[in-house]
Amino acid sequence: MRFRAQIQNINIFNKFVTSLASLGPVAWVRLNGNEVRFTIIPDQGTQVWAVLTIDTIFDGYTVQSAANNVINLEVPLASLQRALRSALQATSASIRLTKKDDIPILSITIVSSSLSSTPHTALGANNQFPNGDGNTATQDTDGEMSIDLSGRERETIITQEVPVKVLSPLAIEGIHEPRCREPDVHIQLPPLIQLKSISDRFTKLALLSRPGNSTTGITTMGPRLELAANMHGCLKISIKTDAMNISSVWTGLSNPELDPGQVEGGEEGVREHASTRMKALGDREGRSEEGWSRVRIDGRDWGKVMSVGRLGGRVIACFCNDHALILYVYLPNDADGDESVLTYYVSSYSE
Amino acid sequence: MVTLNFTLTPEASGRLHDALLSLSRFSDTVSIEARKDTLTLSALNSSKSGYSSFILDENYFSFYEFAPANNNVDGRFTCSILNKALTSVFKSRAVDLKGRDTAIEKCDVSLQDRADEAQCRFIIRMFCGHGVTKTYRLTYEAVEVMRALFDRNTANNRWTIHSKLLKEYVDYFGGKAEQLDIFFEDGKCTFISFTEKIVNSKNQVLKHPLRTAVAANVADFTSFNAQENMHIVISVKDFKSIVAHADTLDTTVGAYYSTPGRPLQFSYSKNGMHCHCTLMTVEDYGQTPAPSAATTAVHSRTTSRAPTIAPAAVQNVRVVAKEMPPPALPNTRKAERKLGQKEPQSKDQEADSDSLFVPQDREDREDRRWDPADYDNEETLGWDASANNEAGFHPTFRDSVSASRSNTTESTKSMPEGLPPTQRISQIKGLGLFD
Repeated sequence: MRFRAQIQNINIFNKFVTSLASLGPVAWVRLNGNEVRFTIIPDQGTQVWAVLTIDTIFDGYTVQSAANNVINLEVPLASLQRALRSALQATSASIRLTKKDDIPILSITIVSSSLSSTPHTALGANNQFPNGDGNTATQDTDGEMSIDLSGRERETIITQEVPVKVLSPLAIEGIHEPRCREPDVHIQLPPLIQLKSISDRFTKLALLSRPGNSTTGITTMGPRLELAANMHGCLKISIKTDAMNISSVWTGLSNPELDPGQVEGGEEGVREHASTRMKALGDREGRSEEGWSRVRIDGRDWGKVMSVGRLGGRVIACFCNDHALILYVYLPNDADGDESVLTYYVSSYSE
Repeated sequence: MVTLNFTLTPEASGRLHDALLSLSRFSDTVSIEARKDTLTLSALNSSKSGYSSFILDENYFSFYEFAPANNNVDGRFTCSILNKALTSVFKSRAVDLKGRDTAIEKCDVSLQDRADEAQCRFIIRMFCGHGVTKTYRLTYEAVEVMRALFDRNTANNRWTIHSKLLKEYVDYFGGKAEQLDIFFEDGKCTFISFTEKIVNSKNQVLKHPLRTAVAANVADFTSFNAQENMHIVISVKDFKSIVAHADTLDTTVGAYYSTPGRPLQFSYSKNGMHCHCTLMTVEDYGQTPAPSAATTAVHSRTTSRAPTIAPAAVQNVRVVAKEMPPPALPNTRKAERKLGQKEPQSKDQEADSDSLFVPQDREDREDRRWDPADYDNEETLGWDASANNEAGFHPTFRDSVSASRSNTTESTKSMPEGLPPTQRISQIKGLGLFD
């Protein structure tokens, strides 16, 4: 079993892992010759199935195994994230699967040039700063040159070892991506930072309006946010409590056209599609009561989902009325062809 | 009668706070030793495997005066004070340095220890803006202090490096590791933060903390002279705290050690503050930088404390970190021989966002806004009908009218009058003062 690669986009990889880590402590990582898949299935809350094309994060990627060159791992996300974070300033970083004391580990080797991050002026001169004023460390710019060292020599090599578990094909046999009926409404979400700040605010308000126990955590159930969208570019987020009813509406968003190639039944399928019927209802201002597809989601969980905004991708939300919300997060990609996509399955709670 | 008076500049009092925080990692109390021209703050941890001292010389103070009691032969005065008490006195000052009106202008410290006074107190006066003086009277325990002796002549391994670089290395370490292995090989000095743990079940594997190895070029060091392939193992948390403090002084850190099982000393100084930190190293760690889980269990500190975890290994448990060399002045107490068990680390320090020792990642700050909101701990705007102004600064006349009143002073005063001067620190616990 072999896996090794250069991490060519540490920043994206780090943000990606950080986003996932908010939803669950451990990810199932599936590596094969074409793609890297990260799956989070928490005990409760939103599932993520993320597919990254190899060149989104890796370079010089090799994966070999007895099981059709597929490797399945269980990876602790916090450790992986910590390791990647230390590579953010690195000159280069590589990752490989290895074994130490019979424990499989993902070993991340980071080459960091100290020159880039440390002002070497401070190195030569010490103990001669003036007394009294602590922060007047005299920065002698010429002192930098006095240390005669080539940049190559000054490289610091950091090795981070993340313990992982290798999963047998049997162990993952029964895990399937959730299947869901065709959505009623699909819409491109507004910039997630707007959506996140407003939903965080709503969640907080709802928590505060609860009688007295907003901080005790007696109830594990977070407040319910209602998210609704229509096929005329409107998205509505609202919260209802005994004392209040607040909502925010975005208008002028886009509802992407369905691709007949992707829909079962082709052109005919598109005509018969639930979203086509929804187009007949509702309006551009979102005033009408008709034409909305609604889901009720857990406010806290939604806040964790919104963490994906740091990746800056385009997000399409698919609403299955009263059933589920599916988010497709497309990572920015220069090249044409396969896109990296993170799929979030958020279930809707009943009223 | 003992005379001890000294004056600190705002910067010096801020740096004193940093030093106190660093000492708090080792012990709840700070030992203070005054001599003719130096004042030493020190702390020894309960397992006697770590000792830190800050010697403040005359340059540190704007004024320093000490005269021992007449019957005192060796010309010293020693006492111990609860660290939290001192830290909280100096803490707000450090914050106020950011140019607010309440910033202090001068800090006077004097010792009240006279036969004709009912109370012995350590008195700290903060002279603030607008003519406000805040006076803190702290109780102290007049005890002999223990020191760890370290003989640098026997320490044939020594290196010095700028604190910035050391800080950079430490920043790579994950949060939960327990130990640090330092060794020199092939022109590289490697720092490995790791954890020895017995992995019981498969599920525990994923909880094992990150193991981080930082291989630094010897050229990064200002000077380097150490034996090759010798593994020196110390507590990574102690190391982190030392590095974090050294970095606030922006200075060169020196390390001195001889062999595994003998103490190691880190030392650095700046502006009249001389810091020496002596840590016990793990004995007989062997040549294996990363022994297997099964074999490390034998050496593990955790195991030596709770050997039942690995019954098979019990007979092999040995004292890992021996006690320090006998303290220099054990007049009053005798050091017990103990296993080198880990000091229970105080959680508050890590939770304290004002603390120096919380690693702040600059790059991440921008990214943080994407983190899920923490609804439980977030401050919320609301009404406080309790009319309880105890917490925090409220510009009521109560705070500004009195030259010698503050929350701390009040609570001190509220204690029963006429307590004996050498009241034990343990006795004042539970009075709600600093616990």
